[in-house]
Amino acid sequence: MRDELLKSFVDMDEQEAVRIARELIETDGGAAAVLDTCKEAMEEVGRLFEAGEYFLSELIAAGDMFNQIMEFTLPKLQGGEVASIGTMVLGTVLGDVHNIGKDIFKVMAEASGINVIDIGIDLPHEKFVEAIKEHKPELVGMSCLITLGVDSMKRTIEVIREAGLRDDIKIIIGGGRVSQAVMEHVGADAWADDAARGVRLSKELLGKE
Amino acid sequence: MPSPEMLKLAEERAARYRAAIELKEPDRVPFTGMGGDVVAAYAGISSYEYCFDPEKSLQAIIKYLKDFPSDRPIGGMSGIGNAITQLAFLDYPDLTGLFAMVDGPTNDILGVDYIRFPGREVDEYSSPQFIGAEYMKADEYDELIADPVKFLFEKIVPRTTRNLRDLGSPAALATMARFGMHKARSGAFMQKQAAELLKLGYKSEPASFFLAPLDFISDNLRDTVNLVKDLRRYPDKVKAAAEALLEPMLKLALLGKNIGADMAFIPLHLNEYLSPKLYNEFYWPTLKEGILRMLQEGMKSQVFFEGWHDAHMESVLELPAGWGVGYFEKTDVRKAKKILKGHTCIMGGIDVGMVIASTPAKLDEYIKELLGEMMPGGGFILSPNIGNLPRETPIENIAAVYEAVEKYGKY
Amino acid sequence: MVSPEMQKLAEERAARMQAAIELKEPDRVPFLGLGGDVIAAYAGITAHEYEFDYEKNRAAVIKWLKDFPADSATGGLGGLDNLTMSVAFVDFPDLANQFFMVNGPMNDVLDMKFARFPGRQLDANSSRQFIGGKNMEAEEYDELIADPVKFSYEKILPRISNNLKDLGSPTSLAAMARLGMVKAQQAAEMGKLAQALAELGYPRGGGMTYAFAPLDYIGDHLRDLPNVVLDIRRYPDKVKAAAEAILEVLVKWTLQGKAAGAKTASFPLHLNEYLSPKLYREFYWPTLKEYILRVRAEGMNSRVFCEGWHDPHLDTFLDLPAGWGYVALEKTDVRKAKEMLQGHTCISGGIDVGVVISGTPAKIDEYMKALLGDMMPGGGYICGPNVGNLPRETPIENIAAVYEAVEKYGKY
Repeated sequence: MRDELLKSFVDMDEQEAVRIARELIETDGGAAAVLDTCKEAMEEVGRLFEAGEYFLSELIAAGDMFNQIMEFTLPKLQGGEVASIGTMVLGTVLGDVHNIGKDIFKVMAEASGINVIDIGIDLPHEKFVEAIKEHKPELVGMSCLITLGVDSMKRTIEVIREAGLRDDIKIIIGGGRVSQAVMEHVGADAWADDAARGVRLSKELLGKE
Repeated sequence: MPSPEMLKLAEERAARYRAAIELKEPDRVPFTGMGGDVVAAYAGISSYEYCFDPEKSLQAIIKYLKDFPSDRPIGGMSGIGNAITQLAFLDYPDLTGLFAMVDGPTNDILGVDYIRFPGREVDEYSSPQFIGAEYMKADEYDELIADPVKFLFEKIVPRTTRNLRDLGSPAALATMARFGMHKARSGAFMQKQAAELLKLGYKSEPASFFLAPLDFISDNLRDTVNLVKDLRRYPDKVKAAAEALLEPMLKLALLGKNIGADMAFIPLHLNEYLSPKLYNEFYWPTLKEGILRMLQEGMKSQVFFEGWHDAHMESVLELPAGWGVGYFEKTDVRKAKKILKGHTCIMGGIDVGMVIASTPAKLDEYIKELLGEMMPGGGFILSPNIGNLPRETPIENIAAVYEAVEKYGKY
Repeated sequence: MVSPEMQKLAEERAARMQAAIELKEPDRVPFLGLGGDVIAAYAGITAHEYEFDYEKNRAAVIKWLKDFPADSATGGLGGLDNLTMSVAFVDFPDLANQFFMVNGPMNDVLDMKFARFPGRQLDANSSRQFIGGKNMEAEEYDELIADPVKFSYEKILPRISNNLKDLGSPTSLAAMARLGMVKAQQAAEMGKLAQALAELGYPRGGGMTYAFAPLDYIGDHLRDLPNVVLDIRRYPDKVKAAAEAILEVLVKWTLQGKAAGAKTASFPLHLNEYLSPKLYREFYWPTLKEYILRVRAEGMNSRVFCEGWHDPHLDTFLDLPAGWGYVALEKTDVRKAKEMLQGHTCISGGIDVGVVISGTPAKIDEYMKALLGDMMPGGGYICGPNVGNLPRETPIENIAAVYEAVEKYGKY
């Protein structure tokens, strides 16, 4: 059944994937199996995306399927079964109120085992500092879609540095307008303009790949 | 830019007018001038052009005012009042003023059922006209009384405005957008017009507008004939409706203060139809209250007593002295003066019929006599008894009036 | 008054653009210029002032174009895509296009839920932003398909505009009257800007009118992007039927722009980068292609802005007849596009805004030299930024370096 779930999930057969998952969780250890399989499937979808076979629409569809299945799977899991490979504070920087890219990334990152603390959109620089102090993440993800966000990310990182927190964390920037040049300009550690790459690099930054 | 001389002249003219309202004797008798359809004819344009082409209309006014200068600018935009829509949008004070006057292009956009424009619904040499009709049934008084603004918006506007017939339709919303566009453009033009008139020595002074609540019911809702019957059939409802309309009407008039108006124009209509008994019971109480309340807020009134007002003259004395201007049509201004001297500024005196049908020599004599009787003691504004001289008015007769005012108008 | 020299300059600039679109080599490479938020910053005003104060906006644009002249004028009162309202009022050709872009003062009157403006919902120096949202349920596809105009008017408009929430209420009618007033005032102000631009030698406007892939209307305004990609899998036939129904309305709307003098239909694509070639070809491209062909049959050419990566779909342009128009590319490599489309489709773009923001003048000079060296030969190329908006903090010396490089290396 795990293989069938994996296949139907990766093939974007939503109805079939949900049906199998519902069946599987009723078996012994099934909930953990569903979680693992769905994570694996998400990873495969991400790989297919990076290979140019899948596109954003598949990432969105996969994220939606993942959330649907998790909704009935997570309540069945025991405490130790949901392992986290690290924590990330995630938000859209000041001046930018877009959330679509952040949301696609978020579900994929969660599927990969990252504990994502989503602090929202259009965030004052200090919000990132507060969240870092509170959640002590290994990673901070900053997102922006519009070009205005570039300078906003730069200033946010400066404020984090002034708070003495820069060395405790790795920063990955994401969004439609980021690039290697922008990453160097704002002083981040990694950049991604798509969610799959973002998740892969986040895991690398966590030393998990 | 207006020259300093013209600015000075504008101030002198305004001061002359103001002095008369304050019941004093100015340097000369203030003269409103005589305009109307003849302004378009004098410029060689049709009434249609005058109503629909702002540039031609402005040039016509300038030409007329240059040849026939007076103390107030005549003419200006030609249109018909639209109190229904004004009241319906009473809660939107930035818009109510826009509905005050329906000009030709505005009527093309709104399609007001009771308005006729030259070159559209009537001949292109005709005047813009108001044709009342029954837009409210007798059994709707209760609804009107309960919430006049809501009732006017929901029930009457769709009945009186063809392009707002279905308020929620795309056509209605499109109509409002077109209306706004036209008003912004004509507003810009009005500013230009005011600047041009200032160059000729005329200040454009904003005025407010108030209707006797019973006139509003009669002209805009029930139609005169029905209203007169209602007075006998449903006297309490008519009274309650007039009272319910008083507050919105006052609020509307006082919005004029925002644009600096300190005078409300009140054209009466039903006055002539009513016996003193009915007048005093149904018509006068809410009219009087309106005038007094505006006065409290610093706004005087200019009441146009349409037709014969002789039977109701005494009621005017119930107002405090200096309340404003009584503008008379058929009522003899000499008689009015006897009753109202020292209490009410009197306006009128020039019988338009005379100007149309008489000769320059007779008019000279007529004006001489009129001014001889009316000027002493001040508190008099010379004006034609109705605002509109027809296109065919002989120009030499008009000139004779202006010359006579020049000759005999000095205090 | 426009001097004869400036009239001549305007003609030269227009001819340069036209030659490139016709796949020829002009005298110089046509250059769209750079713009966006930086125009306000350069004039020392806030983004809020730029978006709400007509005089300051005009002064800023004029200052910018005097110091950074290009072949087409950038700047002016921008706005956010308000396509729902154009669809809803498509039967009112004098109005539909006027409602399309909702700018700051218009939004004060309409209060659109998708709109964020500087100094209003955002910081005074932020960029205006469009926030997608779900305004239609999946169950409503049939209604949309049956009558897109009626559905957009009756169902969507009240959901996206706070002041048109109750159609037919005094508030809604008042909002429309105010909207009309704002539009008339802006028309007068835009007339002044057009005159100023003509005096600076820019071709008179009216060249472009908007157009949208039918599926983008569903994604951006009705279902929200994540939902429409799910719908494609869940209700493929309905999505297709809806796109076809919307196509008819949008073509009608774009042709109203033509009637008002526009020669080019400008398509900003959005959903393109989300779709696999299979889905793109099945759901997105057919109605987009049909759209381009239909306006072409009426004598218009098209500009297609391919947001994001358009690489996997580039070959679809070859389905169109040569000379149909031009593509503006964001992340897609213009050099790769040239290889595929040369002699068939004019290409615009090439200047990576990220480089302008974070590079140095020397590096930019080199970058531009290489870009023009690769792209100019053979013609059919319009040089421009890959996205329209340079942020306020963009170093002016970097911008100057771009213009100088175009001057230096842009001659054929």
